[in-house]
Amino acid sequence: MSDAIIWVIMIPLLGSLISLTWSRYASFIAITSNMLALAASIIIVRQVYQSGPFIHQLGSWQTGLGISLRADALSSILLVMSMSVISAATFYASTYFTDAVKRARFWPLWLMLVVALNALLLSGDLFNLYVTLELLGLSAIALTALSDNRAALQAAIRYLSIGLLGSLVFLAGVALVYTGYGTLDLATLSNVVQASPLSQVAFGLMTAGLLIKSALFPLHFWLPSAHASAPAPVSAALSALVVKVAVYILLRLWIDVFDPVLTPFSAMLLGMLGAIAVIWGSWQALQAQRLKLMAAYSTVAQIGYLFIFLPLIVALPDGPLKDAAYTALLLMALTHGFAKSAFFLSAGVIQQYCGHDRIAELGGTARALPLTIFVIALSGVALIGLPPSGSFLGKWHLISSSLHAGQWWWVPVIAAGSILATAYVFRILGHAFAPGEGVDQVLKWGREEIPALILALLATLILGFGSAGLWDFVSQHNGFPGG
Amino acid sequence: MIEILWFIFDIMLVLLLLALAWTTCSTQDVMRAVTLFIAMGLLLAVIWARLKAPDLALAEAVIGAGISGALLLSAIKDYPSNLMVSHRSPVMRGMINIFTIALTILMSWAVWHGIEMSDGKRLSEQVASQLSISGVSNPVTAVLLNFRAYDTLLELAVVLTAVLTVLILNEKRADHKVISPLLQGMTRWLVPLLVITSGYLLWVGAHAPGGAFQAGAMLAAAMILLQLAYPSIHQGFNLYLLRLLLVIGILIFVLVGLWMMLLNDDFLAYSPAWAGSLILIIETAATLSIATALTLAYLGGRPTGWENGLKKSASHKDSHTDNGRVK
Amino acid sequence: MISEQLLYSLAGIGLFAIGLRATLLHHMLLPRLLALNVCGAGVFLIFIAIAYAGVENMADPVPQALVLTGIVVAVSATAMALALGRRLEALKDE
Repeated sequence: MSDAIIWVIMIPLLGSLISLTWSRYASFIAITSNMLALAASIIIVRQVYQSGPFIHQLGSWQTGLGISLRADALSSILLVMSMSVISAATFYASTYFTDAVKRARFWPLWLMLVVALNALLLSGDLFNLYVTLELLGLSAIALTALSDNRAALQAAIRYLSIGLLGSLVFLAGVALVYTGYGTLDLATLSNVVQASPLSQVAFGLMTAGLLIKSALFPLHFWLPSAHASAPAPVSAALSALVVKVAVYILLRLWIDVFDPVLTPFSAMLLGMLGAIAVIWGSWQALQAQRLKLMAAYSTVAQIGYLFIFLPLIVALPDGPLKDAAYTALLLMALTHGFAKSAFFLSAGVIQQYCGHDRIAELGGTARALPLTIFVIALSGVALIGLPPSGSFLGKWHLISSSLHAGQWWWVPVIAAGSILATAYVFRILGHAFAPGEGVDQVLKWGREEIPALILALLATLILGFGSAGLWDFVSQHNGFPGG
Repeated sequence: MIEILWFIFDIMLVLLLLALAWTTCSTQDVMRAVTLFIAMGLLLAVIWARLKAPDLALAEAVIGAGISGALLLSAIKDYPSNLMVSHRSPVMRGMINIFTIALTILMSWAVWHGIEMSDGKRLSEQVASQLSISGVSNPVTAVLLNFRAYDTLLELAVVLTAVLTVLILNEKRADHKVISPLLQGMTRWLVPLLVITSGYLLWVGAHAPGGAFQAGAMLAAAMILLQLAYPSIHQGFNLYLLRLLLVIGILIFVLVGLWMMLLNDDFLAYSPAWAGSLILIIETAATLSIATALTLAYLGGRPTGWENGLKKSASHKDSHTDNGRVK
Repeated sequence: MISEQLLYSLAGIGLFAIGLRATLLHHMLLPRLLALNVCGAGVFLIFIAIAYAGVENMADPVPQALVLTGIVVAVSATAMALALGRRLEALKDE
């Protein structure tokens, strides 16, 4: 049954090829292959739930010589989240691109992005991670450039050069690891790695490369323009997933592989940067003039929260407290993934119906697009961290972990971030409910509004009420399966 | 004595390389920088050969210096400014300098430790012990198409993604107006030679330096040369076939991988008896795709008529579905 | 053998640093692209330097395969960057 781990990567890849050669039926092919890949991801998470983490040894070669794909609680849950967001965005995209030429250009690249996301979450090999990072970066940039205007191309070029730099710095770290340890396999490496000058520098380089990709303050400068100028379904995937999988690798390396090399100081440093990102990103979001730019800055802030968890996880002793912090981190990542993608898809609807996404001119949209504004409010609830959203629980545990670890200083940061988030969400709602005649027709239950609604409901209700099982699942089935 | 000579040779190579890299990055004229960059690529090919990596020497000469150089040279005229000047403030420059020097020292220290702490064998013994059942006797090909074939599959996906972007963004560059009889004369014997070399590299990759990437780049060089000498030659090409050529490398790769999963449980787990033939099939398809991709990348955009079929159906379809939509 | 490994890997680090410095210094696309390619070549050189096992012995094939992959990825990224730049210039003219 571990074949699902192959199918979840190969189905979108085949879909990409077929949609390219048979472009007239590209939408149908893309939707079908996404559904199949979503099913495969659910099979994977079910298998991890029933029998624990597992490996697929590509080519049947022994670990080290060959490449292995691995699934555990963290990667399989993120995989299902990623495939759900992608599926919703796929349905949305099939109505978003009205021009057949644009649609035909979009699908093969979109499916390539799915391949990269899934391959990256399941990869258990350092060099393979480099290749998937490049595939992810290039397909994300190509999709950003589909907007085909000056702002988007400038953003894409900046994204490309900074992204390439990030992967090269990561690769330099990989070269050092191979020099010292003679292996590229993550599980093997986690058994042999020791604190030494080589490990520290290699680890530092890989971390730096991934920090660029995950846009942690002050390396976030490329993100807002790219995420704001891409087509709406692409922005959803970029903000909700592409940035997050870089954080995922970082977490893997920090917690599962380079554990002996970690110093509390470096974790604290990243936590500090995360804290600055929370404040700075939220503040910029409050200043933003456009809906999508606001959402992009809010992503900078939300990524910051994830980094605040690092010093806590390092400081807490092994056991339930650490597991709780770890699960809360996952819960925050999941909630943000669903909420932010819902937000971007709704921004896309607004942009299509109003012809712009300027926040100050949103008057009347609440009357004309009630469902879309409802979705924005729902995802706002999740971004602020109000109950019953998943991030309410996440922030709750973040605060309690801070107090348990004796690092009370994160608490005011979290409070300030939440207040700022409340301010920027209500600023949008205030404008949306104000009178105005931005839109002349009223849309009720439009087909393009449904995907965003489902995502927002997942973020607020399902993750909030249904997250109980997550805690057991993660504490029982997490960790890298050995070779 | 011999060792001292080698050492002097090594030092000279390294100094020349660093000097070329430095001037490439600090010269003010783009044209010169690109030329120096190509020279650096050729020097790297020599260095790969010196370090006993002949597969790489070939690849660097054809792809790293050759195709990259051709791409960069043809792109220079797309940009209005030929100057390379940094706009950073003196303070910023100072900080960047300090940062890179510190990083160099740290990395050198780390590599020093790394070479000492390693057994010096790393994965090479594992490769050697399994080489006999890999289906090929060139260890680099064995790693690329068997032990780490999955990397190579994703790498082909990277190539496809890049070339799709090129095709989406631009129309292909205008053809040369000038037709040179000299170039045509040269092309007539050079192209068959390149095609034969490409086929040879593909075949020989199983047991000697060579393989799909070198062969594909060589084939692309032949196509580019043909295009330069006979600018209108691509017009007769079937565009649907071109799409097929672009994807066939990955398609065959994935299908073989899945087929082997059906037979032997793991993706890309070749049956040892067929491994040699399967690798050759995959490499042949990959060569075609790589050659097509690199040629299209050189052309700089989509050939005329690339999206024609769509536009017809689009105008027909959009008139029905787009009614009443506010854009 | 060790001395060659050390010499060439240090050269690789030097190349990486030169490329990194130029990437950070330049804003424009073409210079940056050249710098990034130099930077990448540096990383490749580190890999191949440590693969070296003496004049008589076969070099470690794994880094060779990795670098081959790296070279192809670098060319793809270069092609893509040039296409983006070309499109941007065309849009500026419109």
